Amino acid sequence: MCGVCGCADPKSEVSMTNVDTGATQLLRASGQSLADAHAFAHAQGLPHDYLHDDQHAHSHDHHHAHDHSHYGHSHDHPHDHAHSHDHPHAHDHSHHGHSHDHDHVLEQRPAGNHVALEAAILGKNDAIAARNRGWFEGRGVLALNFVSSPGSGKTALLEATIKALKDQVAISVIEGDQMTTNDADRIRAAGAPAIQVNTGAGCHLEADMVAEAARALNPTPGSLLLIENVGNLVCPAMFDLGEAMKIAVISTTEGEDKPLKYPHMFRAVGIVIINKMDLAPHVGFDEAACRANIATVNPKAEIIEVSARTGANFGAWTARLQSLLAEAKARF
Amino acid sequence: MHELGMARSIAAIVEEHARGRPIKGVRVAIGPRACIERGALAFCWDIVTDKTVLAGATLGFIDAEGDTFTVRDFEIREEA
Repeated sequence: MCGVCGCADPKSEVSMTNVDTGATQLLRASGQSLADAHAFAHAQGLPHDYLHDDQHAHSHDHHHAHDHSHYGHSHDHPHDHAHSHDHPHAHDHSHHGHSHDHDHVLEQRPAGNHVALEAAILGKNDAIAARNRGWFEGRGVLALNFVSSPGSGKTALLEATIKALKDQVAISVIEGDQMTTNDADRIRAAGAPAIQVNTGAGCHLEADMVAEAARALNPTPGSLLLIENVGNLVCPAMFDLGEAMKIAVISTTEGEDKPLKYPHMFRAVGIVIINKMDLAPHVGFDEAACRANIATVNPKAEIIEVSARTGANFGAWTARLQSLLAEAKARF
Repeated sequence: MHELGMARSIAAIVEEHARGRPIKGVRVAIGPRACIERGALAFCWDIVTDKTVLAGATLGFIDAEGDTFTVRDFEIREEA
Protein backbone atom coordinates (compact mmCIF):
# COMPACT_ATOMS: atom_id res chain seq x y z
CA MET A 1 0.00 0.00 0.00
CA CYS A 2 2.67 2.48 0.98
CA GLY A 3 4.69 1.61 -2.10
CA VAL A 4 7.88 1.97 -0.08
CA CYS A 5 7.76 -0.87 2.39
CA GLY A 6 4.06 -1.58 2.82
CA CYS A 7 4.50 -0.88 6.50
CA ALA A 8 1.05 0.51 7.11
CA ASP A 9 -1.27 -1.65 5.11
CA PRO A 10 -4.79 -0.59 6.13
CA LYS A 11 -5.75 -4.24 6.41
CA SER A 12 -3.10 -4.68 9.06
CA GLU A 13 -4.09 -5.48 12.62
CA VAL A 14 -1.88 -5.13 15.67
CA SER A 15 -2.33 -7.72 18.39
CA MET A 16 -0.70 -8.86 21.60
CA THR A 17 -0.40 -12.44 22.82
CA ASN A 18 0.45 -13.61 26.30
CA VAL A 19 2.26 -16.89 25.62
CA ASP A 20 1.74 -18.01 29.24
CA THR A 21 -2.03 -17.89 28.98
CA GLY A 22 -2.45 -18.02 25.21
CA ALA A 23 -4.75 -14.99 25.43
CA THR A 24 -4.67 -12.67 22.44
CA GLN A 25 -5.88 -9.09 22.54
CA LEU A 26 -6.38 -6.75 19.60
CA LEU A 27 -4.49 -3.46 20.06
CA ARG A 28 -5.46 -1.81 16.80
CA ALA A 29 -8.18 -2.80 14.43
CA SER A 30 -7.77 -2.95 10.70
CA GLY A 31 -6.88 0.38 9.13
CA GLN A 32 -6.33 2.14 12.42
CA SER A 33 -3.45 4.39 13.35
CA LEU A 34 -2.34 5.62 16.73
CA ALA A 35 -4.48 8.70 16.16
CA ASP A 36 -7.57 6.50 16.23
CA ALA A 37 -6.48 4.31 19.11
CA HIS A 38 -8.37 6.32 21.71
CA ALA A 39 -11.79 5.61 20.28
CA PHE A 40 -10.78 2.02 19.75
CA ALA A 41 -9.69 1.64 23.35
CA HIS A 42 -13.17 2.80 24.38
CA ALA A 43 -14.87 0.46 21.96
CA GLN A 44 -12.86 -2.50 23.25
CA GLY A 45 -13.16 -1.54 26.88
CA LEU A 46 -9.38 -1.58 27.16
CA PRO A 47 -7.51 0.25 29.86
CA HIS A 48 -6.58 3.50 28.23
CA ASP A 49 -5.81 6.20 30.74
CA TYR A 50 -2.54 6.97 29.00
CA LEU A 51 -4.43 7.60 25.79
CA HIS A 52 -7.16 9.51 27.50
CA ASP A 53 -5.03 12.28 28.98
CA ASP A 54 -3.63 13.04 25.62
CA GLN A 55 -6.99 13.67 24.07
CA HIS A 56 -7.70 16.49 26.49
CA ALA A 57 -4.32 18.15 26.42
CA HIS A 58 -4.94 20.59 23.62
CA SER A 59 -8.38 22.08 23.76
CA HIS A 60 -7.52 25.70 24.47
CA ASP A 61 -6.94 28.49 22.03
CA HIS A 62 -3.63 30.26 22.07
CA HIS A 63 -2.08 32.98 20.01
CA HIS A 64 1.33 31.45 19.53
CA ALA A 65 2.54 28.20 18.11
CA HIS A 66 5.31 27.17 20.47
CA ASP A 67 7.79 24.67 19.24
CA HIS A 68 9.01 22.69 22.21
CA SER A 69 11.31 20.52 20.19
CA HIS A 70 14.40 19.75 22.25
CA TYR A 71 15.91 17.20 19.89
CA GLY A 72 14.89 13.91 21.33
CA HIS A 73 11.96 14.41 23.63
CA SER A 74 9.55 16.69 21.92
CA HIS A 75 6.55 17.68 23.96
CA ASP A 76 3.41 17.82 21.98
CA HIS A 77 1.30 20.80 22.94
CA PRO A 78 -0.43 21.68 19.73
CA HIS A 79 -2.02 24.94 20.73
CA ASP A 80 -4.97 25.68 18.56
CA HIS A 81 -4.35 28.72 16.46
CA ALA A 82 -7.49 28.58 14.45
CA HIS A 83 -9.24 31.81 15.30
CA SER A 84 -8.42 34.91 13.31
CA HIS A 85 -6.36 37.63 14.92
CA ASP A 86 -3.97 40.37 13.94
CA HIS A 87 -0.67 38.87 14.95
CA PRO A 88 0.85 37.62 11.73
CA HIS A 89 3.98 35.76 12.91
CA ALA A 90 4.59 32.13 13.62
CA HIS A 91 7.26 32.16 16.30
CA ASP A 92 9.58 29.26 16.08
CA HIS A 93 11.34 28.93 19.42
CA SER A 94 14.00 26.67 18.09
CA HIS A 95 16.82 26.11 20.57
CA HIS A 96 19.36 26.80 17.89
CA GLY A 97 20.52 30.35 18.13
CA HIS A 98 16.97 31.52 18.73
CA SER A 99 16.22 31.46 15.04
CA HIS A 100 13.20 33.54 14.25
CA ASP A 101 11.76 31.39 11.58
CA HIS A 102 9.06 33.21 9.70
CA ASP A 103 9.15 33.23 5.96
CA HIS A 104 6.45 35.90 5.57
CA VAL A 105 3.98 33.43 4.16
CA LEU A 106 1.25 34.86 6.31
CA GLU A 107 1.89 38.36 5.06
CA GLN A 108 1.76 37.24 1.47
CA ARG A 109 -1.62 35.62 1.68
CA PRO A 110 -5.06 36.88 2.57
CA ALA A 111 -5.32 37.36 6.32
CA GLY A 112 -7.18 34.74 8.27
CA ASN A 113 -6.61 31.92 5.81
CA HIS A 114 -3.34 30.67 7.16
CA VAL A 115 -3.14 28.78 10.40
CA ALA A 116 0.22 28.28 12.07
CA LEU A 117 0.46 25.06 13.98
CA GLU A 118 3.91 23.59 14.63
CA ALA A 119 2.48 20.30 15.86
CA ALA A 120 4.91 17.43 16.31
CA ILE A 121 3.79 14.66 13.98
CA LEU A 122 5.14 11.98 16.30
CA GLY A 123 3.78 13.89 19.30
CA LYS A 124 1.22 11.29 20.31
CA ASN A 125 3.79 8.50 20.28
CA ASP A 126 6.28 10.69 22.15
CA ALA A 127 3.68 11.60 24.79
CA ILE A 128 2.87 7.93 25.44
CA ALA A 129 6.60 7.08 25.45
CA ALA A 130 7.19 9.77 28.08
CA ARG A 131 4.47 8.22 30.22
CA ASN A 132 6.01 4.76 29.77
CA ARG A 133 9.38 6.17 30.82
CA GLY A 134 7.88 7.64 33.98
CA TRP A 135 6.08 4.39 34.73
CA PHE A 136 9.32 2.40 34.35
CA GLU A 137 11.40 4.85 36.37
CA GLY A 138 8.76 5.06 39.08
CA ARG A 139 9.00 1.31 39.54
CA GLY A 140 12.78 1.10 39.18
CA VAL A 141 12.32 -1.06 36.08
CA LEU A 142 15.17 -0.94 33.56
CA ALA A 143 13.61 -1.02 30.10
CA LEU A 144 15.92 -1.64 27.14
CA ASN A 145 14.93 -1.50 23.46
CA PHE A 146 16.90 -3.98 21.30
CA VAL A 147 17.10 -3.08 17.64
CA SER A 148 18.81 -4.82 14.75
CA SER A 149 18.26 -6.28 11.33
CA PRO A 150 16.43 -9.63 11.21
CA GLY A 151 18.70 -12.56 11.98
CA SER A 152 21.40 -10.75 13.96
CA GLY A 153 20.64 -12.91 16.98
CA LYS A 154 18.54 -10.63 19.17
CA THR A 155 16.40 -13.46 20.46
CA ALA A 156 19.40 -15.73 21.01
CA LEU A 157 21.07 -12.90 22.93
CA LEU A 158 17.99 -12.48 25.13
CA GLU A 159 17.72 -16.25 25.70
CA ALA A 160 21.35 -16.41 26.80
CA THR A 161 20.89 -13.30 28.97
CA ILE A 162 17.87 -14.82 30.71
CA LYS A 163 19.70 -18.08 31.35
CA ALA A 164 22.70 -16.22 32.76
CA LEU A 165 20.82 -13.79 35.01
CA LYS A 166 17.40 -15.22 35.86
CA ASP A 167 18.47 -16.42 39.30
CA GLN A 168 19.73 -12.93 40.18
CA VAL A 169 17.16 -10.59 38.68
CA ALA A 170 13.56 -10.77 37.50
CA ILE A 171 13.39 -10.43 33.71
CA SER A 172 10.37 -9.99 31.46
CA VAL A 173 10.32 -9.58 27.71
CA ILE A 174 8.21 -7.83 25.08
CA GLU A 175 8.71 -9.37 21.64
CA GLY A 176 7.87 -7.48 18.47
CA ASP A 177 7.39 -9.24 15.15
CA GLN A 178 5.02 -8.86 12.26
CA MET A 179 3.68 -12.38 12.67
CA THR A 180 4.04 -15.52 14.85
CA THR A 181 4.65 -16.03 18.56
CA ASN A 182 7.87 -17.97 17.86
CA ASP A 183 10.15 -15.55 19.69
CA ALA A 184 7.94 -15.19 22.77
CA ASP A 185 7.72 -19.00 22.90
CA ARG A 186 11.52 -19.19 22.87
CA ILE A 187 11.78 -16.58 25.64
CA ARG A 188 9.23 -18.43 27.75
CA ALA A 189 11.15 -21.67 27.25
CA ALA A 190 14.30 -19.84 28.42
CA GLY A 191 12.51 -19.05 31.66
CA ALA A 192 11.06 -15.52 31.45
CA PRO A 193 7.49 -14.26 31.03
CA ALA A 194 6.96 -12.81 27.56
CA ILE A 195 4.32 -10.91 25.61
CA GLN A 196 4.38 -11.15 21.86
CA VAL A 197 3.21 -8.06 19.97
CA ASN A 198 2.35 -8.78 16.35
CA THR A 199 2.50 -5.59 14.34
CA GLY A 200 0.85 -7.08 11.25
CA ALA A 201 2.34 -5.10 8.39
CA GLY A 202 3.90 -2.59 10.80
CA CYS A 203 7.67 -2.37 10.68
CA HIS A 204 8.35 -1.22 14.25
CA LEU A 205 6.94 -1.16 17.78
CA GLU A 206 5.19 2.01 18.95
CA ALA A 207 4.85 3.35 22.48
CA ASP A 208 1.18 2.43 22.94
CA MET A 209 1.93 -1.22 22.14
CA VAL A 210 4.68 -1.25 24.77
CA ALA A 211 2.34 0.44 27.27
CA GLU A 212 -0.26 -2.32 26.87
CA ALA A 213 2.30 -5.11 26.90
CA ALA A 214 4.06 -3.69 29.99
CA ARG A 215 0.71 -3.40 31.76
CA ALA A 216 0.03 -7.06 31.04
CA LEU A 217 3.52 -8.18 32.13
CA ASN A 218 3.45 -6.00 35.25
CA PRO A 219 7.23 -6.10 35.82
CA THR A 220 8.31 -6.12 39.46
CA PRO A 221 10.29 -3.19 40.92
CA GLY A 222 14.00 -3.52 40.29
CA SER A 223 13.50 -5.87 37.35
CA LEU A 224 14.67 -5.88 33.75
CA LEU A 225 12.23 -5.33 30.89
CA LEU A 226 13.83 -6.35 27.61
CA ILE A 227 12.01 -5.12 24.50
CA GLU A 228 12.93 -6.85 21.26
CA ASN A 229 11.87 -4.55 18.44
CA VAL A 230 10.84 -5.70 14.99
CA GLY A 231 13.95 -6.66 13.02
CA ASN A 232 14.52 -3.50 11.00
CA LEU A 233 17.35 -0.97 11.06
CA VAL A 234 15.25 1.93 9.73
CA CYS A 235 11.90 2.74 11.35
CA PRO A 236 12.45 1.68 14.99
CA ALA A 237 14.98 4.54 15.29
CA MET A 238 12.14 7.07 15.03
CA PHE A 239 9.82 5.66 17.66
CA ASP A 240 10.59 6.29 21.30
CA LEU A 241 9.08 3.53 23.42
CA GLY A 242 10.02 4.99 26.79
CA GLU A 243 13.10 2.80 27.15
CA ALA A 244 16.13 3.82 29.21
CA MET A 245 18.39 2.97 26.27
CA LYS A 246 18.33 1.54 22.77
CA ILE A 247 20.85 -1.23 22.16
CA ALA A 248 21.81 -2.30 18.64
CA VAL A 249 22.80 -5.85 17.84
CA ILE A 250 24.96 -6.36 14.76
CA SER A 251 26.36 -9.74 13.76
CA THR A 252 29.65 -10.62 12.14
CA THR A 253 27.85 -12.17 9.16
CA GLU A 254 26.18 -8.91 8.17
CA GLY A 255 29.15 -6.91 6.95
CA GLU A 256 31.08 -4.20 8.74
CA ASP A 257 29.40 -1.31 6.95
CA LYS A 258 25.91 -1.63 8.49
CA PRO A 259 26.49 1.40 10.77
CA LEU A 260 27.36 3.53 7.72
CA LYS A 261 24.35 2.26 5.77
CA TYR A 262 21.89 2.83 8.63
CA PRO A 263 23.37 5.78 10.56
CA HIS A 264 20.09 6.96 12.12
CA MET A 265 19.75 3.74 14.04
CA PHE A 266 23.34 3.50 15.18
CA ARG A 267 23.26 7.14 16.24
CA ALA A 268 20.26 6.43 18.46
CA VAL A 269 21.83 3.67 20.56
CA GLY A 270 23.97 3.67 23.70
CA ILE A 271 25.51 0.23 23.22
CA VAL A 272 26.32 -1.84 20.13
CA ILE A 273 26.61 -5.57 20.69
CA ILE A 274 28.57 -7.39 18.00
CA ASN A 275 27.14 -10.91 18.03
CA LYS A 276 28.25 -14.20 16.40
CA MET A 277 31.92 -13.53 17.17
CA ASP A 278 32.45 -17.31 16.96
CA LEU A 279 31.82 -16.99 13.20
CA ALA A 280 34.17 -14.03 12.71
CA PRO A 281 37.13 -16.06 11.39
CA HIS A 282 34.90 -17.98 8.96
CA VAL A 283 33.30 -14.96 7.34
CA GLY A 284 36.35 -12.68 7.21
CA PHE A 285 34.87 -10.20 9.68
CA ASP A 286 37.01 -7.06 9.91
CA GLU A 287 36.61 -6.10 13.54
CA ALA A 288 38.69 -2.92 13.33
CA ALA A 289 36.65 -1.67 10.37
CA CYS A 290 33.38 -2.44 12.14
CA ARG A 291 34.47 -0.56 15.27
CA ALA A 292 35.67 2.37 13.17
CA ASN A 293 32.33 2.52 11.32
CA ILE A 294 30.37 2.50 14.57
CA ALA A 295 32.62 5.26 15.94
CA THR A 296 32.12 7.30 12.77
CA VAL A 297 28.35 7.56 13.23
CA ASN A 298 28.27 7.37 17.03
CA PRO A 299 31.54 8.09 18.84
CA LYS A 300 29.87 7.60 22.24
CA ALA A 301 28.52 4.10 21.60
CA GLU A 302 29.97 1.37 23.79
CA ILE A 303 30.88 -1.78 21.88
CA ILE A 304 30.63 -5.27 23.36
CA GLU A 305 31.59 -8.33 21.33
CA VAL A 306 29.98 -11.63 22.23
CA SER A 307 28.82 -14.95 20.94
CA ALA A 308 25.34 -15.64 22.30
CA ARG A 309 25.61 -19.20 20.96
CA THR A 310 28.96 -20.22 22.50
CA GLY A 311 28.85 -17.80 25.43
CA ALA A 312 32.23 -16.29 24.50
CA ASN A 313 32.77 -12.96 26.31
CA PHE A 314 29.14 -13.08 27.42
CA GLY A 315 30.18 -12.09 30.95
CA ALA A 316 31.20 -8.65 29.64
CA TRP A 317 27.63 -8.09 28.45
CA THR A 318 25.90 -9.39 31.58
CA ALA A 319 28.23 -7.35 33.78
CA ARG A 320 27.36 -4.20 31.83
CA LEU A 321 23.68 -5.04 32.09
CA GLN A 322 23.96 -5.43 35.84
CA SER A 323 25.73 -2.09 36.14
CA LEU A 324 22.91 -0.45 34.15
CA LEU A 325 20.39 -2.08 36.46
CA ALA A 326 22.29 -0.87 39.52
CA GLU A 327 22.17 2.68 38.09
CA ALA A 328 18.43 2.39 37.53
CA LYS A 329 17.88 1.13 41.07
CA ALA A 330 20.04 3.92 42.47
CA ARG A 331 17.78 6.48 40.78
CA PHE A 332 14.66 4.70 42.01
CA MET B 1 9.37 3.16 5.43
CA HIS B 2 6.42 4.16 7.64
CA GLU B 3 5.43 7.23 5.55
CA LEU B 4 1.82 6.07 5.27
CA GLY B 5 1.47 6.11 9.05
CA MET B 6 3.13 9.54 9.12
CA ALA B 7 0.72 10.80 6.45
CA ARG B 8 -2.18 9.56 8.58
CA SER B 9 -0.81 11.39 11.61
CA ILE B 10 -0.48 14.63 9.63
CA ALA B 11 -4.04 14.26 8.31
CA ALA B 12 -5.35 13.58 11.82
CA ILE B 13 -3.61 16.66 13.24
CA VAL B 14 -4.86 18.94 10.44
CA GLU B 15 -8.41 17.58 10.55
CA GLU B 16 -8.56 18.18 14.27
CA HIS B 17 -7.42 21.79 13.94
CA ALA B 18 -9.36 22.53 10.75
CA ARG B 19 -12.67 21.90 12.53
CA GLY B 20 -14.55 21.24 9.33
CA ARG B 21 -13.16 24.13 7.29
CA PRO B 22 -11.96 23.21 3.78
CA ILE B 23 -8.18 22.99 3.51
CA LYS B 24 -6.19 24.22 0.54
CA GLY B 25 -2.74 23.14 1.60
CA VAL B 26 -0.62 21.85 4.46
CA ARG B 27 3.09 22.42 5.05
CA VAL B 28 5.33 20.17 7.08
CA ALA B 29 8.79 21.06 8.34
CA ILE B 30 11.31 18.24 7.89
CA GLY B 31 14.89 18.16 9.12
CA PRO B 32 17.66 16.16 7.45
CA ARG B 33 17.70 13.66 10.32
CA ALA B 34 13.95 13.10 10.50
CA CYS B 35 14.16 9.84 8.50
CA ILE B 36 11.38 11.01 6.20
CA GLU B 37 11.40 10.40 2.47
CA ARG B 38 9.49 13.29 0.93
CA GLY B 39 8.51 11.55 -2.28
CA ALA B 40 7.06 8.65 -0.33
CA LEU B 41 5.24 11.01 2.04
CA ALA B 42 3.69 12.92 -0.87
CA PHE B 43 2.61 9.64 -2.46
CA CYS B 44 1.01 8.49 0.79
CA TRP B 45 -0.62 11.88 1.41
CA ASP B 46 -2.71 11.52 -1.73
CA ILE B 47 -3.81 8.03 -0.70
CA VAL B 48 -4.65 9.02 2.86
CA THR B 49 -6.62 12.15 1.96
CA ASP B 50 -8.53 10.66 -0.97
CA LYS B 51 -12.29 10.89 -0.40
CA THR B 52 -11.83 12.70 2.93
CA VAL B 53 -12.38 16.33 3.95
CA LEU B 54 -8.71 16.87 3.08
CA ALA B 55 -9.07 15.61 -0.51
CA GLY B 56 -7.24 17.92 -2.89
CA ALA B 57 -5.22 19.63 -0.15
CA THR B 58 -1.61 20.01 -1.24
CA LEU B 59 1.31 18.87 0.91
CA GLY B 60 4.28 21.23 0.95
CA PHE B 61 7.70 20.82 2.54
CA ILE B 62 9.84 23.29 4.45
CA ASP B 63 13.49 22.59 5.21
CA ALA B 64 14.15 22.53 8.93
CA GLU B 65 16.97 21.63 11.29
CA GLY B 66 18.00 18.33 12.87
CA ASP B 67 15.26 15.79 13.39
CA THR B 68 12.39 18.28 13.19
CA PHE B 69 9.19 16.72 11.90
CA THR B 70 6.19 18.96 12.48
CA VAL B 71 3.07 20.25 10.81
CA ARG B 72 4.15 23.87 10.34
CA ASP B 73 0.86 25.35 9.14
CA PHE B 74 -2.12 24.89 6.89
CA GLU B 75 -4.17 27.16 4.66
CA ILE B 76 -7.93 27.36 4.63
CA ARG B 77 -9.57 27.43 1.22
CA GLU B 78 -11.83 30.40 0.60
CA GLU B 79 -15.33 29.34 -0.19
CA ALA B 80 -16.58 30.87 -3.44
